[in-house]
Amino acid sequence: MITLTNLGKVFRTELIETHALREVNLQVNEGEFAALTGPSGSGKSTLLNILGTLESFDSGDYQLDGKSVKGLSDAALSKLRNEKIGFIFQSFNLIKDFSIYDNIELPLRYRGLNAAARKQRIEQALELVGLHARRDYLPGQLSGGQQQRVAIARAIAGEPRILLADEPTGNLDSLMARQVMELLEQINQQGCTILMVTHDPDQARRAGRNIQIIDGQLHDSTMYDPLAAQSA
Amino acid sequence: MEQFIYYLKVSFKGIKRAPLPYALTIFILSVGLGVFFANATFYYQLNSDPMPHKSDKLFFPMMLLAPYTCTDCKPPRVLSYSNIEKLSQSDIPSAKTAMYSAGGYMRLNASQPALPVSIRITQRDFFSMFEVPLLHGTIWPDNNARHEIILSKATAEKLFGRTDVIGEKLLLDDRHLTVTGVLDDWQMLPRLYDANNRNHLSPVEDVYLPLETGYDMNYLSNTQSQTFDQTDYRQLSTQGRTGALHQLQYWVQLDTPAQQQAYQQFMANLVQDEKAAGRHPSEANNQLIPMRNIVNYFGGDSTDIKAFALVTLLFLLVCLFNASHLSLNRYLGNQYEFSLRRALGASRAQLQLQMLADVILMAVFTITGALITAYGGIKLMNQLLPSNRLFSSWDLTLLLSLLGIAFVCSYLVTLYPSLRASFGNLNQQLKE
Amino acid sequence: MSFYLLCKVLFSRKVVTGLLLVQLAMTLALLLNSILLAQQTQQQLNQPTGLDLNNTLVALLKPTTASLRVYPALQELLDRQLAAVQALPGVIAAAYANQSAILQGGNNGNIYDIEQEERTNIPTVPMYFVSKDFFSVLNGKVLQGELPQHSISLDGPVQPEVVLTKSLADKLFSGESAIGRQSSRGRVAAVIDDFYGQRYSDHVMYNSVQVAPPYGVDWGYSIMLRTQPEQTEAVRQKLADVLRAVEPDIEIFHVRTLAEQHKDLYRNEYGLAMLLAILSALMLLVTMVSSYSSTHFHALKRQQEIGVKRALGASKNTILLELLSENWLCTVIGAVFGIGLALLLNQALAQVITIPPLSWWLPLATCAILLLCVTVATWYPAAIATRISPATATKAL
Repeated sequence: MITLTNLGKVFRTELIETHALREVNLQVNEGEFAALTGPSGSGKSTLLNILGTLESFDSGDYQLDGKSVKGLSDAALSKLRNEKIGFIFQSFNLIKDFSIYDNIELPLRYRGLNAAARKQRIEQALELVGLHARRDYLPGQLSGGQQQRVAIARAIAGEPRILLADEPTGNLDSLMARQVMELLEQINQQGCTILMVTHDPDQARRAGRNIQIIDGQLHDSTMYDPLAAQSA
Repeated sequence: MEQFIYYLKVSFKGIKRAPLPYALTIFILSVGLGVFFANATFYYQLNSDPMPHKSDKLFFPMMLLAPYTCTDCKPPRVLSYSNIEKLSQSDIPSAKTAMYSAGGYMRLNASQPALPVSIRITQRDFFSMFEVPLLHGTIWPDNNARHEIILSKATAEKLFGRTDVIGEKLLLDDRHLTVTGVLDDWQMLPRLYDANNRNHLSPVEDVYLPLETGYDMNYLSNTQSQTFDQTDYRQLSTQGRTGALHQLQYWVQLDTPAQQQAYQQFMANLVQDEKAAGRHPSEANNQLIPMRNIVNYFGGDSTDIKAFALVTLLFLLVCLFNASHLSLNRYLGNQYEFSLRRALGASRAQLQLQMLADVILMAVFTITGALITAYGGIKLMNQLLPSNRLFSSWDLTLLLSLLGIAFVCSYLVTLYPSLRASFGNLNQQLKE
Repeated sequence: MSFYLLCKVLFSRKVVTGLLLVQLAMTLALLLNSILLAQQTQQQLNQPTGLDLNNTLVALLKPTTASLRVYPALQELLDRQLAAVQALPGVIAAAYANQSAILQGGNNGNIYDIEQEERTNIPTVPMYFVSKDFFSVLNGKVLQGELPQHSISLDGPVQPEVVLTKSLADKLFSGESAIGRQSSRGRVAAVIDDFYGQRYSDHVMYNSVQVAPPYGVDWGYSIMLRTQPEQTEAVRQKLADVLRAVEPDIEIFHVRTLAEQHKDLYRNEYGLAMLLAILSALMLLVTMVSSYSSTHFHALKRQQEIGVKRALGASKNTILLELLSENWLCTVIGAVFGIGLALLLNQALAQVITIPPLSWWLPLATCAILLLCVTVATWYPAAIATRISPATATKAL
């Protein structure tokens, strides 16, 4: 599904050069639920952005579904993002003056679906996150947890292959966070690959796989033993 | 004061942070106001009343006393010599004068090159009615023919190189005349005493000649003369005095409503008598036009300036909208800082003072820009509409009102945005 | 993005959009009316005059001594001046006339068919008293009859014969042959091609010409001459000196071509049209500034939103298109109001000046100009906005 080979990313200013990522090799298979952990500034967000094609990389290669994204035009990358990748952000990033419905509809419009197809998918997504009754609300009228669920609905409405979540529960209290996590797990069970950046070791443990980044290098990539996790 | 200087400093910092939108705001306001000022100058000067204390007492009688049949017509735009003779018979007006203008050539002796001059051929009361200032000499004691001439100051200087030239002799179209008066600097704008054919836009004349002398010398009007019978206009001194040769304008001064009414009655009676005598066949059409309406009566309103006034006003509005739009954007950009100040304890009153500093600063820039634009605009309009050239100067009243308008506009442009910035929801703005 | 969402974005910023709309509407209204006025002036300047405007020169003169203004001294002066001017190389024909063609007003009066005074009386028809070569200066065709060959005094026992322009002859004699008919100014000898006489007469092409010495020269008189095209400028340079050499006691008010005189006649219209055009250009500039700043600030405020959209799969071009279409929509709505406003302004202007009513295609053309300007002004800030990094923008708190 995702194959990173010797991937590197350097940030340059006039004074210094920072290697955000170096020699990263990673294989993520279809249907995995992986947690990306690591201290602040370790490069996990950069990695997520590169996976989401929001940022470019300087060396190595990134193959998505067996095709390299290197050298693709802005339009091709946008199409790729639109069709294969869903994003969930820590700060939700809903568009304030659009209703819930309009927010979820946005990526579907970019895909060029007709009104009926859009409607069907939005209904499904809203059903999944349990916010069908709030479809005409504005984001500001919802709680944080609800907003994040809307963001999830927006991310999955396009039926992406991969869901990239950047600390999806970072702005939420524990109850809300748990609801969101359950939702993500449910989505994962339906076959969607999920990569999630998190600080929370509990959440990391709930994911099927933990990828740790320290100083721009993939430090560890272990499969958790579900039994061990339970006993911990 | 020290506090206010601080506010000015803060304003400057605000400008430095986003110089482009500020410059654009100033530019747009300056252009809008400048264009408006340029046209307002002409509009104001063209519509100004040159004799505000007297203009409601001066009247222009018009009568249809001509030997032709015509129903529903306006009286001819000029009167004949015999019309004037009859109108002058009344003693109701406190002052009265007939007049016309002509062109001539003046020199001191036959060997000198001729100086073209414009001549107002008129009567004694002209000078008191229109408050013409006299520098040297005297005005003619009566309305009789006399070979005497009154010069404007500039003409005296041009011809003699000095102004005190009373008693000097000169040649006007080869005829000998004596200078009996020299006028002081005088420019009646607009020149309402002669509004026919938009002549109110012209400067006042160079020399003044008694009406009877003008007729004796066969001076034909250089603006309008019309004959309604077989009068030979080359025989002005003879046939021109009796025939239907129309070229005169007539003014009367009627100080009270009673006088005005009495004069109306006099005109009505005169027309009736003339009609009874069979001297004019048409229906009576008497008009007593107050000086303030004279331009309008002759259809000489500066429509181009009016049309342009309408448009420049629109333009100013657009610029105001635009500038407040820009300004709003600028303030929204600064909103975070505004809110921070409030969070740090600045009261709304203090923020308003800050706003006042902004307004003053903006007004100073805007006024400078607007005056420069207006100056350029006036130069351009003088090029394009040269007939209004005389009306392009600024006086104190005009300048002060222009400055006032500029200040108000700067205020308006700053008001809404800063209100919005200072009354917004503090909490939300800081969080944003 | 859909029309519905565009509207939604637009009207979420009520004040800013409102201001922009008002401004766009006013710009369009003004632009439309100044184009209209410019068009009208252009038409006036392009109307046929029946004259060789560029190669006909006019000198307006007046003797500065009274003795030269009376006959026979005046006749002698006219003849001397004419002889001198005719001798200039490049002059095809020269004539004196009490007044030139293409004037605001001048010497005019009523004229009628003697037999039917009531029905045919036409007021303010210019009367020309000219030397016999006047017709070859005009260079028009003789349509009927024969031109008078001798100058006859107006004070004599017999009235000099009259030459009428075609329009006037047709009007006076209802299309019948005018030759030999008696008009109030004399017997009609010939009918010639129309030429532009006086702007404020009954009809600019109504003219009557008599070969006679001018009645008087209190208002000055004109020497008109037609030149070889390549010699016009040379003749014009020399003309004043030649005339002064003949007689120093004259004032020369001006020497100019009929083309200049024609332009001068419509100077006010031209001036007003120019002023309005300049104002329209300024207004477009102001609108462009406005579109620019509104897009610029708008994009600045919505960095995060643009970043999110990019993340959701909008390409740079999509974002650019979205920002542009917001402005296009705004322009189109503004333009619709603007056309209404233009009609109002047109009516308001019609109260004070002559301005033709709006035609159907002009609003479309001006909308296109407005749209083009708005697009140009929006492009740069919109293109900048598309460069917002989605990675950074979506991180923003």
